Amino acid sequence: MLALSEQAAQAGVRIGMRRGGVQALCPDAVLHERDAAREQEALDSVALTLLQYTPEVAYAEEASLLLDVSASLRAFRGRLALSRLVRASVFALGFTPQIGMAPTAQGAWLLARCQPRHGRAAVRRVIRMESMMRRLDALPCMLLPAARPYEEWLTGIGCHSLRDLRRLPRAGLQRRSDKHLLDALDRAYGQAPELFEWVQAPKAFSARLELPDRIEHAEAILFGARRLLLQMTGWLVAQQLAVRRFSLLLDHERGRHAIAPTPVEIALADPTWQEEHLTRLLKERLGRLELAAPVIAVRLEAQQLEAMQPPSESLFPEPGGTPADYHRLLELLTARLGNQSVLAPSPRADYRPEVCNAWVPAATVSRPTPAALHQVERPFWILEKPVALIMRENRPFYGSPLRLVKGPERIECGWWDGGLVVRDYFIAQGEASTCYWIYRERSGDQISWYLHGLFA
Amino acid sequence: MSALVSTISSLPHTVWRADQMGSHHAAVVPTGHGALDRELPNGGWPSAALIELLLQQAGIGEMRLLRPALNMIASLHRIALIQPPHLPQIAAWTAWGLPAERVLWINTQHSADALWAAEQVLRNGSCGALLLWQSHIRTESLRRLHLAAQSAQTLFWMMRPLASAQDASPAPLRLALRPVSGGIGLDIIKRRGPQRDEMLFLPLHDAPAAPSLAPTLTLTASHAHLDRRLPATPAARSLSAELV
Repeated sequence: MLALSEQAAQAGVRIGMRRGGVQALCPDAVLHERDAAREQEALDSVALTLLQYTPEVAYAEEASLLLDVSASLRAFRGRLALSRLVRASVFALGFTPQIGMAPTAQGAWLLARCQPRHGRAAVRRVIRMESMMRRLDALPCMLLPAARPYEEWLTGIGCHSLRDLRRLPRAGLQRRSDKHLLDALDRAYGQAPELFEWVQAPKAFSARLELPDRIEHAEAILFGARRLLLQMTGWLVAQQLAVRRFSLLLDHERGRHAIAPTPVEIALADPTWQEEHLTRLLKERLGRLELAAPVIAVRLEAQQLEAMQPPSESLFPEPGGTPADYHRLLELLTARLGNQSVLAPSPRADYRPEVCNAWVPAATVSRPTPAALHQVERPFWILEKPVALIMRENRPFYGSPLRLVKGPERIECGWWDGGLVVRDYFIAQGEASTCYWIYRERSGDQISWYLHGLFA
Repeated sequence: MSALVSTISSLPHTVWRADQMGSHHAAVVPTGHGALDRELPNGGWPSAALIELLLQQAGIGEMRLLRPALNMIASLHRIALIQPPHLPQIAAWTAWGLPAERVLWINTQHSADALWAAEQVLRNGSCGALLLWQSHIRTESLRRLHLAAQSAQTLFWMMRPLASAQDASPAPLRLALRPVSGGIGLDIIKRRGPQRDEMLFLPLHDAPAAPSLAPTLTLTASHAHLDRRLPATPAARSLSAELV
C-alpha cells in the first residue's frame, strides 16, 4: 500500500499494509497496481508544462521536479505570484503539488517534503540563507534519502534531526556511511555546488492523454484537452515559438469496426502561445461537435509553428485594443458561429445592388478593396429577397399606399452573366413617412412592383 | 438637511434630484442632435451602458438618428452589427462617410448565439460601438448584457420592438422611436433625469425624400438619368389601369 483515499483511511487502511490486510479491513477497496511508466508520463507532462515558467527544470528523486526560478522572479512578479501560478498549472493537470522554495535546490526539496508537525502548518518557503538553515535544522534527518539506509544506527545514537546529523564529526560520519550522505547535506546547506541535467523539450510537440472514462459529450473532452494545451503552452514558451495551426485528434472506442479518429483543426489568424485563448477557441469548437462514437483518448499536435513575436509595448496604447485583440475576437466568433456568420464588406463595382453589396468572411480579409462606388442614394437596409408588392388603386401598397417621391433610376445590366435585371428604382414614401426603395420590373407587358430596401 | 445635501452631492452618479438631470460616470459621445443632447444626462450617448432603442419597425430613421455618433466612432474604432433585421448595404454605409473596413456584420441564426457574440464583443473591447437587434430577450440576459457593457468602453445600442416598452429593463437609457414626417419622434421612456411626457421631434435633414437633396443628386450621379417624369399619381379610379 503506497497511497490511499480518505475513505480507505477512515476504514483503517494504513500506508505500508499488504494486499491481504487491506482486503480484510475493507473488502470493497479497489486496488490499483503501481504503473511506473504512467508515473513517468505524468511527471513528464508536469515538467513540460512548467517549462513555461523557467527553462531550467530538472527531475529529482521521489517524483519531484526542481525549478531554477532565480531568473524568472521579476517576469512573473515575485515569488508568491510565481508559486501561485505553478500551483494552478499543476492543479489544472490534475495533480496536487507540494511546493518548497529555498536558496538551494536540495534545501527546497527537503522543505517541500516536510510534513506539518504538532498541528502547525509547515513553512515551505524561505528566502534567506540563515532562515533556511534554521528551518532545515529542525527537519527529521530521515527525510534525506541518503540517510535512510542508516536509520537504525542513527536513531540508536539519538540523531533525529538534520541539526543532530550536522553536529556529528564529519570524518566519523563519512567512515560509517557513504559519501552521498555528506554530499546531500552539504548541498542542502549550500556548502557544495549543485549540478543538474535540465529537461530538454522535444523538437516537435505531440501529446496524448488517455481519458479516465469513455466520454460521449464533446464538451466533456475539454478538461482533458486543457491538460494537453497546458503542456503545449510550456513547450511553446520553452522553444520560443507560437502556434498558428494545431489539431486535436479524438480517438474513438473500438466497436465492431475501427473508427478513424475525429480531427478538430484550429487555425489562428494571429499566432499565439497563450493558453486561455486556445482553451476558449477549443471550447467553442467542441461545443459544435457531434461525436460519432465515445472518445477514449485525445491527442494534441502542433502543426504549424512560427517564431514568437514579443508584444510591443508602446507608450501610448492604441485606441480600442491592439490588432491582435481584434484578431482574437474574430477567431473566437468564427469558432462558434462559423465562417459565414462573421462578415466584412467587400463591395464590387456593379450596378446591381445585390451583386454590389457583397460580404465575405471577416477572417479572410485584411483590408477590403475600395471599389468604385457610384454616388447615388442607396437605402441602409436591403432585403435579401425582394418582396412583391400588391397593387391597390393602381398604386403599390406596403402597409399603406406608397407615394413615389424620387426616381426613376434605371438599372439594366447583367446580360453578360445570366443575371439580367431590368428595373426602374423609385424612392417611395408610405403614410407614416417611412421611405422605401421599390422597383418596377419590366418584363414584357407585365409590370410588377417589388420592395427592395428600407431607408433607415 | 445640510448633511443630507452634502451626502447626496458626494454620490453624483447614483443619486439625483427628481427634477434635475443625473449624470453618467463614463464618457459620452454627442448625439449630433442638439435637442436630443439637451435631454440626455451629460449631453450624449453614454458609453459603458446599455442603451435601448425601441422601434416600431426597421427603417424608420433609426440609423440616421445614430449617424452623427457612428461617424464620430468610425474614424477611430470598428462598429459591429449583430443580427440586423436586413442586409446592411455597404454603398449606403460609405455614402454616409463611414469607412467600409470599420464595419463587422455578425449574422447569427439563433438569439443565444447573438447574445453570446454581443458579450464577447463587449468583453474584447476592440469595437467602438455595438448594435444588437433582438426581438425577444429575457430579463436575465438583459442584465447580463448590461453588466458586460459596464466593463467596456463600447457604445452599446440595442434595438427592440416597441411592445417591450412595457417591460422592466436594467438599461439606464430607453428611447422609443416613431416615424414622423420630416424626421423622427422620440419618447424618452427612461433616463437618469426627470420624466418627460411629450414626444421629442428631431428633424433629420438627410432623409431620402428631402427636396433639398434632389438637385445634388442629379449633378453627382455618374450615370445618365432617364428623361422622363414621375408617373402622375392618379386620383382614385380616374384612369384605367392600362394607361399607367
